[in-house]
Amino acid sequence: MILGPLGSAYLGAQTPAAAFSAPQRDYILACAGCHGLHGVSNSSLVPSLQGRVGYFLDLPEGRAYLSRLPNVAFSTLSDEQLAGVLNYMVFEIGAGSAPAGARPYAAAEIRRWRSEPLTEVTLSAYRRQLVETLISRYRAPVSLRGYGGDAR
Amino acid sequence: MSKSPIDRLGERLTRRLAGYSSRRSFLARLGMALSAAPVLPLLPVARASAADAAKTDFERYAQTSDPTKCNYWKYCASDGVLCSCCGGGSHTCPPGAEPSPISWIGTCVHPESGRSYVIAYRDCCGKPMCSAGKSCHCDGADRELPTYRAPLNNDIIWCFGKASATYHCSTAALLGVADTARK
Repeated sequence: MILGPLGSAYLGAQTPAAAFSAPQRDYILACAGCHGLHGVSNSSLVPSLQGRVGYFLDLPEGRAYLSRLPNVAFSTLSDEQLAGVLNYMVFEIGAGSAPAGARPYAAAEIRRWRSEPLTEVTLSAYRRQLVETLISRYRAPVSLRGYGGDAR
Repeated sequence: MSKSPIDRLGERLTRRLAGYSSRRSFLARLGMALSAAPVLPLLPVARASAADAAKTDFERYAQTSDPTKCNYWKYCASDGVLCSCCGGGSHTCPPGAEPSPISWIGTCVHPESGRSYVIAYRDCCGKPMCSAGKSCHCDGADRELPTYRAPLNNDIIWCFGKASATYHCSTAALLGVADTARK
């Protein structure tokens, strides 16, 4: 009933207002501005997540990497919320890329890793090193070297 | 004297009305409406006054009819020139300008439903800054964070990453419902 007038009068040509799950909403508010609503970044500066972010879970360091990235670790979200966002990101947006049987992130794990944010490393070099290992020893495609964004 | 056609029609309508309705049923309905009246209008009014204390200044004066004004509800954190004053819409770029590849995303409260909506603040890029009147230069700041929290900041020109990083104007696209209604 509330959405009725919004859908027609205020949205115009836009799609009707959607309702989100809590992790999806947190992802949209905290990440989607750059990584895209569905994990497809349209900037060559930002890594795409769709169907590929889960490859990082092949390595323990890669699993930690996702939660130690500065904007993840420094997020205003709680450990519980952040675990929810990472699980949504890895298992739904990244669907098909996480190793079979990968455990979901737990709040306690997030609490630990976000206390060690990746601030003392050269981030791009650290990522490159992880990605090379993921490609040579695990299942990651060579395209993971790039960000997969639209390089227009 | 024979009746005129208008008289005959009037008589037929009156008789039909009398056949369908009774004074008793009218009184019953009126009574029901009167007893329900004090209850119904109270609900939204009471809710509005309780929610008022939690409102931001922007939310107190927000409107839903004119997207060329800074107090249009979706612009609660819009900082810049409104594209709706520059030949575009509240969520569309003017001809010749392109939406920024990245943006920041916040929430605005719809003044009538009281619900919070997810809004993507996208800049339109690739043309010199739109020269619209002063009333189109807005500085909403609801739930915006300082520049050192860049992903939630509206002073940043989000055109970077495009071939031309020239800022033209600002849009606010509604993505969906952020929350349930405020209590």
